[in-house]
Amino acid sequence: MYKTKQLWNPLSTVFRRLLPTTCRFDPFSANSQFPPLSSHPQSSSRVPPRHSLDFFPDSKFSLLSFCSQSAAKLDSTTKRCWNCVTDAPGSTPFLYCDSCRSIQPLDLSIDYFQIFGLEKKYEIVVNGLEGRYKDWQKKLHPDLVHSKSEKEREYAAEQSARVIDAYRTLSNPLSRAIYILRLEGVDVDEEQTVSDPELLTEIMEIREAVEEAPDSQALNQIQSRMTEKLEETSNSFANAFRRRNFDEAVACIQKMTYYQRASEEILKKL
Amino acid sequence: MLRLVANRLLGTASGVAPSRPLQNLQRLYHENVIDHYNNPRNVGSFDKNDPNVGTGLVGAPACGDVMKLQIKIDEESGKIVDACFKTFGCGSAIASSSVATEWVKGKSMDEVLTIKNTEIAKHLSLPPVKLHCSMLAEDAIKAAVKDAEAKRAKMNGSSKAADVKLDK
Repeated sequence: MYKTKQLWNPLSTVFRRLLPTTCRFDPFSANSQFPPLSSHPQSSSRVPPRHSLDFFPDSKFSLLSFCSQSAAKLDSTTKRCWNCVTDAPGSTPFLYCDSCRSIQPLDLSIDYFQIFGLEKKYEIVVNGLEGRYKDWQKKLHPDLVHSKSEKEREYAAEQSARVIDAYRTLSNPLSRAIYILRLEGVDVDEEQTVSDPELLTEIMEIREAVEEAPDSQALNQIQSRMTEKLEETSNSFANAFRRRNFDEAVACIQKMTYYQRASEEILKKL
Repeated sequence: MLRLVANRLLGTASGVAPSRPLQNLQRLYHENVIDHYNNPRNVGSFDKNDPNVGTGLVGAPACGDVMKLQIKIDEESGKIVDACFKTFGCGSAIASSSVATEWVKGKSMDEVLTIKNTEIAKHLSLPPVKLHCSMLAEDAIKAAVKDAEAKRAKMNGSSKAADVKLDK
């Protein structure tokens, strides 16, 4: 009995919404249309149609199955909260339901740019990421859901981990470049050998210089050169990506990987 | 990190029984790799402009590794008499190139082209994730041989032209 009472609220909203927009059938027609369900917890399954209150739980399953097609269509385009069954707002990515404050299951179709409310472009304002990141963690962090169900705690762990991953990927220009190319279906082949003599000779010289650098001043000089080069190549990438020249974009990514690696080695030495 | 691993291994050798689970053991570097790392053979450079030196410069963009392998050819026999390398990368990449320089010495250029990355990987017991390091070493050998042959061809070409001029 308690279960049905719990179901009443969300059920009524579902019913109200389904009825005028999608389903044409009249709930107050003869009860004989709906076979009583054996799995139903309520004892009195045969209820006269006029008692609409009792009627609804009984008809819930059959109602939904009758309108299953339209319901399915509704579900695929609009997300619905598993807890309070409210529709997701169309504008923001649906990681968290604001009406009942419950965390939603992982939806991998939401990409990292959407999580941060950004356009899918390479050039982004990196400073703006931190604010949004903290806002999300205030809602999704696992430490905030200790009192909630195990299912929701799982959702919290997954969502929060994904947001962290998104934040890290988008903050670093190289990982952002690789990610945005991946979204376009272009994967940078990890194991391909590169033999561009110019680039390699340059990198060789840089790495040798790092090895033989006498003091931290020399290292910092090389480091600033690397930062410059990274910015330059980052801009070339943005350019190539905008023109959708993916081969060039991949070449830029390879260069950036080398400069970033050299930069990391310098940091290790410092 | 490698030094730590080496020390841990030595600790095991001296009879101290580690209480770590079996999975960790599988991640250690093979002793051949550690050997090449601690006692590197043939690190150095030859003069790039020497006509008898072939230089192979290759890189793996994903991990940002660069590998330079150089071979010195004996003019008359065409065999590789000396080799050296310089690699910036992980322990496996360094060991692979070190092994490569050892294996090419004393062989002809055609012979070394048959050295496969799988042989290098097997010798070093490289895990699957590091197989591309041995591939890089194989590519470096091929690139060095290609460079050496190109230089020889140029040399032969120019000497032939010189002979022709003399005849005239």
